[in-house]
Amino acid sequence: MSGMDAIRDRRTDAGPLRRRLGGLLARIARWPAGLLLSAAVAVVLAGIAHIISILAMPALAERNAYARLSELAESNMMVMLPDPTPQEAVLPMTDPAFISAVCLYDLSQRPVKVRVPATSDYTSVSFYTAEGLAFYALSDQAAGAVIELDLMTAAQKAALPEDEEITAADRLVIVSPSVEGVVMVRAFVRERGMRAGVRKQLEAAGCGQAS
Amino acid sequence: MRLLPLAFTLLAATVLGLGVTWFAVSGSRGLDVVRSGPWEGWPRAGTVKADPYARAALARSGELPIELADGLLFLAGTDDAGRPIDGRCVTRISGVLPQARLWTLTLMDSDGRLIPNDAGRYGLTSAEAVYTDQGAIDVRLSPRARSGNWLPTGARSRVKVVLRLYDAPFSFASGAGDAMPLPHIVQEGCP
Repeated sequence: MSGMDAIRDRRTDAGPLRRRLGGLLARIARWPAGLLLSAAVAVVLAGIAHIISILAMPALAERNAYARLSELAESNMMVMLPDPTPQEAVLPMTDPAFISAVCLYDLSQRPVKVRVPATSDYTSVSFYTAEGLAFYALSDQAAGAVIELDLMTAAQKAALPEDEEITAADRLVIVSPSVEGVVMVRAFVRERGMRAGVRKQLEAAGCGQAS
Repeated sequence: MRLLPLAFTLLAATVLGLGVTWFAVSGSRGLDVVRSGPWEGWPRAGTVKADPYARAALARSGELPIELADGLLFLAGTDDAGRPIDGRCVTRISGVLPQARLWTLTLMDSDGRLIPNDAGRYGLTSAEAVYTDQGAIDVRLSPRARSGNWLPTGARSRVKVVLRLYDAPFSFASGAGDAMPLPHIVQEGCP
């Protein structure tokens, strides 16, 4: 008797959500076998469609960052981005306190050299594949006054002559997992009035094929 | 005769699967969420270890995430009590920020755009902010101009706050966002 009470107590404790869920399950159990099978097949297929679409999205997305930037930049050239405004921004979620420049790189022929001068404040260089995956970043504090680096594919790095090791010591080599991608340079503007000055400093940044 | 149910099953499956995908990429920025109060961060989205949901969401939005070595981004759409941040009200963001070389606090509308205002004031940075004696910040979001740390909300019904910490030490080993306390967001009053 006391056992029954305990069970009844627990049933009253169960929230309305659980009761509704139980009712739903009971109703589904009364469905004809054919409908039940169809529902199960539909759920499994929906799961597969979901997984495939998530995995395919980076390759299929037409308005990804690379596509947006290709509209105003050619490959292997440093281009200054306009400051984001409420009306428009080249890329969504751009920090308005920064001035940005981008280089769309193409390593199919040869490695690319990137040179970023120090500005008056925090400056960082970030690397993304064409699908928007961030694979490397460094800031002025880690690199010193001028950030100079060579961007290449794994095959191009393997093909570097052995005796280049000495010169490679003072040059930073970054291996890109993709042939095409984006170099993003961001410089912080400490005071509103310094925007033009920082922009001018960043205009000296360069990106181009290694000779 | 069996063809019709089969076609219906396939259609229902596709709609359901793609619907879940749409919901996932528009509502989230990856599975690896670090939470601290109302703030949400996705540190792994800015690394090569970004999960498929983060990659899909970023490819769709067209955003280039902050690389983790560069900085960290936190988003808040609600206050500490879980209420959406209303731009018609006064909202207070106060507390000590984690260690970073610099930080920026930016306001956005629900579509991720900056909020237009006459002052051209879209955000606050560590260089401009006025700190309390304890080194904390005390920022007011409000539709009308105020003295001190003020960000205009443009009287939008819903606004989002973006906190970016640049050159901030962060390690996954230290665990969840509880290890990184972020400022409180409290609604102070609605006219």
